[in-house]
Amino acid sequence: MQSTLTLSVSNLLIERAERLLCKDLSFEIHAGEIVHIVGENGAGKSSLLKVIAGVLSPLEGELFFAGERITAHRDVLQAQLCYLGHLAGVKSSFTVIENLALHFPAATEVQILAALRSVNIEKYATTPAYQLSAGQQKRIGLARLWLTNKKVWLLDEPFTALDTKGVTVLEEKLQQHAELGGMTLLTTHQKLNSTLHARELSLDS
Amino acid sequence: MTYLSFLKSELLAVFYRKQDTINALAFFLIVITLFPLGVNPSADFLEPAAGGIVWCAASLAILLSVESLFKEDFNDGSLEQLIASGLYLPITILIKLVIQWCAVIVPLLLLIPLFSQMLFLPWSIVHVLIFTLLLGSPALFLVGTIGAALTVSLKRGAVLVLLIILPFYLPVIIFATGAISAAQAGQDYSGQLAILGAISLLSLALSPGMSAVSIKASMN
Ligand SMILES: Nc1ncnc2c1ncn2[C@@H]1O[C@H](COP(=O)(O)OP(=O)(O)O)[C@@H](O)[C@H]1O
Ligand SMILES: [Mg+2]
Repeated sequence: MQSTLTLSVSNLLIERAERLLCKDLSFEIHAGEIVHIVGENGAGKSSLLKVIAGVLSPLEGELFFAGERITAHRDVLQAQLCYLGHLAGVKSSFTVIENLALHFPAATEVQILAALRSVNIEKYATTPAYQLSAGQQKRIGLARLWLTNKKVWLLDEPFTALDTKGVTVLEEKLQQHAELGGMTLLTTHQKLNSTLHARELSLDS
Repeated sequence: MTYLSFLKSELLAVFYRKQDTINALAFFLIVITLFPLGVNPSADFLEPAAGGIVWCAASLAILLSVESLFKEDFNDGSLEQLIASGLYLPITILIKLVIQWCAVIVPLLLLIPLFSQMLFLPWSIVHVLIFTLLLGSPALFLVGTIGAALTVSLKRGAVLVLLIILPFYLPVIIFATGAISAAQAGQDYSGQLAILGAISLLSLALSPGMSAVSIKASMN
């Protein structure tokens, strides 16, 4: 069963604002893998994640997930997807708990508080998000990783604005996710801990 | 994310953004009070003009409130999350819209009896005005949503929204005010109401899908 959990991308061509970001990009990610997309600013890392998540459309190429073609309709993938973009959709007027309740209607308050404790913002559970620092707001988005049971994580620069302790905690979470058979595709400009065994995927031509 | 949790969070968002709704209503109130002062405060002039004044003010207030329907969601990444959530986008747009409609139109309808007195609209006509608003305003919201979706990624899209959708507002305004004048002249106005309802139904069929396509196109 686990071996079928593969995300594959073949001959992808992404163009944005009349600029070719990637051409003939092909790769596969299997269950338990962490793939680190590298490339300079503007190389198209965020765009690639958006294309996989279904936010943008590729110009050419195919995507497959769990043996099914998902190029036109991402439903099969989206049912297993946790996508955290640059801005993770944190509503500034909502409290921290309200922000998470949108994504996890079935989660109990105890579960949400436990997730908040993991990312160290438990004290701010009922504080409106706009009253938190940039790093704390980032943690609201990241707390979703502790609540989700989705297998495919697409994380766009999850480490920005995090302190060193936060980075360690997140790296541990990524490792745990990989051990449980999940796959992660992430972008970051920082060096990942070697224990994660992240595979690098370069977008620079 | 489920449809229900999305609905709840939208209700919460409208509650937190209640100032926007109040602004739209205040705008409506200002137009209605300034108009008689600027033109002619006599009952002779206002009574036949009342329907037109209320409808113009309502159209502008609605335009104001739908223009920024997706702005905040676009800027904080919620729109991306919504697209990636796997929920059917037209339905979520419709949910958003129904909530927005209730937030603006319900208080407006409650205030209408007061406004119609300010404009010397006879009591026997007030219910016609309310019918036209109930049947015609959904079309204004639905059409406005397409404009808001088309311009969501533009920094200053408000004027563009206006230019794109104002032509589609005209038939609604014409038939709504037509129904009110007919009622004032003691004629049958059910035809105009039926057309208003038809325009709203047509917009209901077209708008969510077109808005979803426009939003997806705007993400590029
Ligand atoms: N909203 C946008 N509209 C048009 N072009 C964009 C937009 N966002 C990014 N781009 C273009 O796409 C390219 C890749 O951007 P992005 O994927 O964000 O890069 P990265 O994440 O690798 O730094 C950039 O060169 C930029 O010019
Ligand atoms: Mg980026």
